[in-house]
Amino acid sequence: MTELRGDAAGHRLGFGVGLRNQHFDHILATRPPVDWFEAISENFMDSGGRPRAVLRRIAEHYPVALHGVSLSIGSTDPLDRDYLARLRRLADEVSARWVSDHLCWTGALGVNSHDLLPLPLNERTLEHVSARVAQAQELLGRPLVLENPSTYVRFRQSTLNEPAFLRELSRVTGCWLLLDVNNVYVSCFNAGTDPLDYLNQFPFDRVVQLHLAGHQHCGTHIVDTHDRPVSAAVWQLFRLAWQRSEQAATLLEWDGDVPAFERVHAELMRARQIIDGDAPAEVEAAPRPRPDSAEAVSTPVAFLVPEIMSNSVVCPS
Amino acid sequence: MSVDQDRLDSLQRWMIEALIAPDGVDADTIAATFLPGPKLSASACLAIYQRSYILRLRKCLEEQFPASYHALGATLFADFADEYLRACPSDSYTLHELGRRFPEWLEDNRPDRDQPPEQRESWIDFMVDLASYERDLYRLFDAQGHEGRPWPDVSTDDGALVLQPCLALVAYRYPVAWYYHEVRAGRSPQLPVAMRSYAVILRRDFLTHTYPVTRLHYEFLSLVRRTRDLPASVEAIAAEAGYPVDAVWRSWRHEVRRPWIEAGFFVERAVIGG
Repeated sequence: MTELRGDAAGHRLGFGVGLRNQHFDHILATRPPVDWFEAISENFMDSGGRPRAVLRRIAEHYPVALHGVSLSIGSTDPLDRDYLARLRRLADEVSARWVSDHLCWTGALGVNSHDLLPLPLNERTLEHVSARVAQAQELLGRPLVLENPSTYVRFRQSTLNEPAFLRELSRVTGCWLLLDVNNVYVSCFNAGTDPLDYLNQFPFDRVVQLHLAGHQHCGTHIVDTHDRPVSAAVWQLFRLAWQRSEQAATLLEWDGDVPAFERVHAELMRARQIIDGDAPAEVEAAPRPRPDSAEAVSTPVAFLVPEIMSNSVVCPS
Repeated sequence: MSVDQDRLDSLQRWMIEALIAPDGVDADTIAATFLPGPKLSASACLAIYQRSYILRLRKCLEEQFPASYHALGATLFADFADEYLRACPSDSYTLHELGRRFPEWLEDNRPDRDQPPEQRESWIDFMVDLASYERDLYRLFDAQGHEGRPWPDVSTDDGALVLQPCLALVAYRYPVAWYYHEVRAGRSPQLPVAMRSYAVILRRDFLTHTYPVTRLHYEFLSLVRRTRDLPASVEAIAAEAGYPVDAVWRSWRHEVRRPWIEAGFFVERAVIGG
């Protein structure tokens, strides 16, 4: 299986930004100083229009990784071979550094929830997911990179913690790991566990990428909203994770209330400052865009829907 | 629905149904499946997923049908969207297919569907047409197109012209393209009166254009699509409409040929390998 870490240190891509439709024109016009981009696989794999053309152009100038939200590696529905074939073609086309998705399931009975749903973590699930990861890697012709999701429930049937599950999954299948530091914080708060304990148990030798994002604190729980700056507590965890992963590729996700590219980029640059110790991690980076509410939505996906209206004109008859 | 806690497939079936129809989930099954959180009951933990499921997908439908959203208003659109998502949950890995069945669902679920056509509510006809138009625009935005390949010009032989791949021929009972672009311009148009309208929707240079056409033009272009033979379609439409064929050829050459070629209605058969 391909080595994404090791002597070549292929995981040290630097600091990247999640590619969003709203930023296409800015990126093409200014070619901003970003080390790499992460593209949402499903937004491009079927595209016959501008999104794929833009991604091809961006891939000429920046390293690109693909990040999926619909592989559904934990589902009991059969793996979608057509989906994997399309994903493979896209990955080949843009020379993707790697292809990632989540340790989750997104649907069953042919229904897609478009959410990253949690799995009971136990030996049976491990066997089930391991077999599917092996199959997916075979069909993709490359190793998978799997991310820890944000979770809001704990199954009574779970017998393994998430770091232990991912460690074993990675050992058995050779897959690599994407550690979402914000998800660690969110899931641990919601479960009443210690995020530092989580990091202390995590198999950092398998980590090729880190994710950063903002969340919404609702008092009784935290929702992974990706709609605001990274919290001070997450920055503290990030500093630790970046060191332990030996400078894994770091990516900022901003998916709700997406601001101008310059704002997203400024937030990304805080990661550099925090690593360099130039900025105290406990300082809030920026004001929140809107007040917290009980209507916080996890796993925002509306950003995946392109804004069509401004791209349409009616002509005189 | 009961859950066999030892079977992942049983658990997943139960949970997906708990998202789509949250009212049908019993508290005992939830408590048997999940531990309570430090500050929330097991039911409240599951409710985070249930609430997010509908809000997330409703928001996506709003994005895919912005003019329908404008016409119905937030509350009524939410009612329609929620019912649609319950009846037609996503069956694809891509959100681009989420609204695929929405226009058809609106038609099938209209409250006056058992009435004779002349007694049906006209505003529902308008909403069905508007949603159909928005779905066509959405589909063509990212469909396989002709960008990056050569386009024909007026010197191209008629026999070499076929309709370009990213083009839809549409017919509506209301002027929905006008309404849509009024909303796009930031205005608040009144619901228009019924008026049969025909249009060509196409994408060129990654911009989607709507060209109103006459019924005869619509039928002619439909023939071109079906036969992939433009000269034969001129002859056929003349016969169908009862016009002298010379007059139809003159109309083609002097009225629409140049503007349609320049607008990107056609590509050369040889370029697309047809």
